Amino acid sequence: MRLTRRRFLTLSGAGGLAAALPLDAAPAFGQSGPVRVGVLAAKAGVTAPVGESGLRGVQFATDRINAAGGILGRKVELIVEEESSPKDTVERFRKLALSDKVDVVSGAISTGVGLALGPAAEEMKTIWLAWDATTQKGVEETMPKPKYSFRSTDNECEAVMASIITARQWKGKFKTVAGINPDYSYGRDNWAAFLAIMKKYGMEIQVVSELWPKLGATDFTSHVATLVQAKPDLIFSCFWAGDTPIFLKQAHAAGLTKSTKLVLTTGGGVHESLKKDFTPEGAILGYNCFYFENPKASALAKEFTRWHSEKFKEWPNYESDHGYFTIVAYKAAVERAAKAAGGKWPAQDAIIQALEGVEAESLSGPRRYREDHIMEAAFFQGLTTHKNRHDFVTIDPVESMTTKQIQKPSGVGLYDWINGWKV
Amino acid sequence: MIVRALGVLAAAALLLVPVAGIPYTTTLLLPAFGYAIALLGLNLLFGSTGLLSFGHALFVALGGYTAAALTSRAGVRSLEVLLLAAAVTAALVAVPVGLLCVRYVKIYFGMLTLAFGMLFYSFLYKFYTLTGGDEGMRVLRPVLLGQPLQHLDKVAFLTGPFYYYALGVLVLAAIAMRRLVRSPFGLALRAIRENAAKAESLGVSVRRYRLAAFVVAAVFGAVGGVLLVVPTGLADPLLAYWTHSGNLVFMLLLGGFDHFLGPVLGAVVFILLQDAVMSLTPYWRFVFGAILAIVVIFFPRGLMGLLDARRAPAA
Amino acid sequence: MLFLVAAGLQLVFGVQKILNLACGSFYALGAYAGVSAVRWALGAGLPAPLFLPVLLGAGLALAAIGPVIERLLRPIYDRDESFQLLLTFALVLMFEDVIRFFWGTAPHQLGNVYLAFGQLRIGALTVPTYNLVVIAAGAGIAAGMGWFLARTRFGRIVRATAENREMAEAMGVDMTRVYTRVFTLGVALGTVGGALVIPATAAVNEMGIDLIVEAFAVVVIGGLGSMRGAFAGALIVGVVKAVAIATWPEVEMLAIYVIVIAVLVLRPAGLFARATA
Repeated sequence: MRLTRRRFLTLSGAGGLAAALPLDAAPAFGQSGPVRVGVLAAKAGVTAPVGESGLRGVQFATDRINAAGGILGRKVELIVEEESSPKDTVERFRKLALSDKVDVVSGAISTGVGLALGPAAEEMKTIWLAWDATTQKGVEETMPKPKYSFRSTDNECEAVMASIITARQWKGKFKTVAGINPDYSYGRDNWAAFLAIMKKYGMEIQVVSELWPKLGATDFTSHVATLVQAKPDLIFSCFWAGDTPIFLKQAHAAGLTKSTKLVLTTGGGVHESLKKDFTPEGAILGYNCFYFENPKASALAKEFTRWHSEKFKEWPNYESDHGYFTIVAYKAAVERAAKAAGGKWPAQDAIIQALEGVEAESLSGPRRYREDHIMEAAFFQGLTTHKNRHDFVTIDPVESMTTKQIQKPSGVGLYDWINGWKV
Repeated sequence: MIVRALGVLAAAALLLVPVAGIPYTTTLLLPAFGYAIALLGLNLLFGSTGLLSFGHALFVALGGYTAAALTSRAGVRSLEVLLLAAAVTAALVAVPVGLLCVRYVKIYFGMLTLAFGMLFYSFLYKFYTLTGGDEGMRVLRPVLLGQPLQHLDKVAFLTGPFYYYALGVLVLAAIAMRRLVRSPFGLALRAIRENAAKAESLGVSVRRYRLAAFVVAAVFGAVGGVLLVVPTGLADPLLAYWTHSGNLVFMLLLGGFDHFLGPVLGAVVFILLQDAVMSLTPYWRFVFGAILAIVVIFFPRGLMGLLDARRAPAA
Repeated sequence: MLFLVAAGLQLVFGVQKILNLACGSFYALGAYAGVSAVRWALGAGLPAPLFLPVLLGAGLALAAIGPVIERLLRPIYDRDESFQLLLTFALVLMFEDVIRFFWGTAPHQLGNVYLAFGQLRIGALTVPTYNLVVIAAGAGIAAGMGWFLARTRFGRIVRATAENREMAEAMGVDMTRVYTRVFTLGVALGTVGGALVIPATAAVNEMGIDLIVEAFAVVVIGGLGSMRGAFAGALIVGVVKAVAIATWPEVEMLAIYVIVIAVLVLRPAGLFARATA
């Protein structure tokens, strides 16, 4: 980790990195100066591990691109700033856009920040490729027709996929349901989506408990006690941070995990902390858009996983793939636009046009940006198993669904879309 | 003399920054103006009245959300109306909160204000249908003095008309505060700070004066808050978090609470310093903590205290 | 566990009249250190149930930074209390990054090792015995503190100093030593508290900052300067939270602040305050 930090410091250091020194076997870089990519990564608080993960994906992409000659012969240079509160992050964005004059900004995870950066990107006419933070509010209300902002996949995708699997796997096998979700927009949106889909599938369920702990809480004794009293057949949770293993641990200690079905839509983000000790088998676990041990993984994914585990002594999670994709998508768009411009570095408008509908190979397979600037990707979920060589759970079989199945198409409201399904 | 000269120099610099053509620095200073106004209020509370509030961010956030609610929910765009509404809202909230808080002094006051600040934060976070929750509430671009200035994009707007407008509000606020501090009201406050019992015995209603100071500080805080959120375009609950209040106090101390212009200096220096340090190291919090510690231990009177060594130290 | 942190706060404030915002940071330090220590010990082959002494040891060991920090705070003892608040706030900022530097940003936890003590059935609930151990420890420390302050010589010195510093000094008490020890004790309460909770939860980024507000709430409710108050305050906060979660989960976040304000309005010195607060 310290290694990484130093690296970023050297990369972002002077900003006056002139034509880079040739690397070992790399070709000499183009004369028109480096491509400057601003990165907004969370460094503190509950989103910090996710921010770090995204940054690693960006770093991996950048290293590979530079080793292969950069983008149109220009080296990619990263300028990393911190994502913190919306106000401060907008200010860092402004610095990247106005002072560092970056060509593109990659980053942002938290919903509040995402909501603030959209208009900021439009105002400063800087292309922004988000890693996460896509709420319906941001898409529908504030930025119906963005030009410079490219968002990630919808926040509800995981809940949608998990709900579909739940309906298929356990139809008729559960009656009472409890929800324990972090108390903010993400938690609320996912719980609502789950309930809507259960209704759509005609599942007759009864909600016996709805708990709303603070995001990142570290003690669930009272919550677990309440759940034990409520005796739900199924517990739905979209925890994605350090709260996930703590909740499971305390639930297990109270005997809750033995008899109750679990749906953990996003727990895969912290999969390494979900130890076999307290995480049961047979739970639905979601890994967002990257699963580290996918039997169908591409060579690229395997290379990345190996690189990550050797360098950081831990397995990668989905945010790395989001980060990775933003960089390769940008490269692909630039190259696509350059073809039309006769091989020269294209104008920003051309790049934006090329980004719409661009397809690039991410760590988990092909991804693209839709014409309405929303990302399309594959999601991975499955039932947990203890049959592996780690001390934490994995999923088997690995099920994959694309956003074509689990993300609402452009121009349709989420609930209208769900209601229109044919089940 | 040095102070005067530096002051003139600084004022000139501030006036010329937008013209110098560095858009980033210009936008960087905008929150400094907002903070400076909020700090003028905090200074009244701490410097003059001796009450250190660790919840001042409450009023800054209140101002921000008032602006947000009015622009994005009620369609009100006039900045003058926003500022006025923020001031009124702050006063309305400050009265009951102040009544509770000014009963106590020192540590209790600090703790109670911290609690209220966090209460407001929780309120903003929880009541999401009203406030937008963690996603916050949008702040749409306001209209300055009746000029919509549609032809300017946001950056040009911020680095041009809005910059001078904010600076103007700051100057007005500073003048108002100066008058206040020098008035009998201000004198009474200082008397209370020195020796509350004595002041009481001389017929000064200690509690009422403290409440008044609290309300005035709140108003200044909210006005600053409005100017703070316009560049961001969003008001979010973190504006009310206790560490934000802590930063406000930090700025005040850095600038020097003893001197009238301390707040302004503190805000500007803090913002510029934060920008520089944040780009240098991810461990900028440590650096800032160290700076604060050094200031508290060695330079409690802040930068103004350093510059103005001739002034007699306050008790 | 809120009690331990609050107790530390109380102790330091009672004697030295400093309100330590960094007590949350000490708690966090104890937590992280505890995780590292136990992980290392278990990795080195220590039998599971013995993790508890390791944990306590880590917590106590970390209290060694107490004297160092105390030296740092010394220059401002005589100044306005606001400066003390500010200096400890500076410490909070610095500790956050120190912790991040050594332990990174990801949460650290200890798996299921705390179940090594087994579980108990109480009615319909299954409770890990460890949780009861922690509660017992809390109560034990509370009782211990009480006894310590009332019976031992040092305890009496501490109380005397709290009552009237000048007098105590006049009677020949070495203020510097007393302050250092008291502060270290306060720090120890924090670090041990952090270490003890860790097996059941996890050490996460910014846990110090989040804890501070709750610790303050406890201290305010219980009353500044009273050990019993800290205990009662922690109990009340815990109960209120549990009740809120079980009955009206939506207000979980707000409940605690409303109580704080209610207490401050009705019984400003807290529920158990001493006469000279």
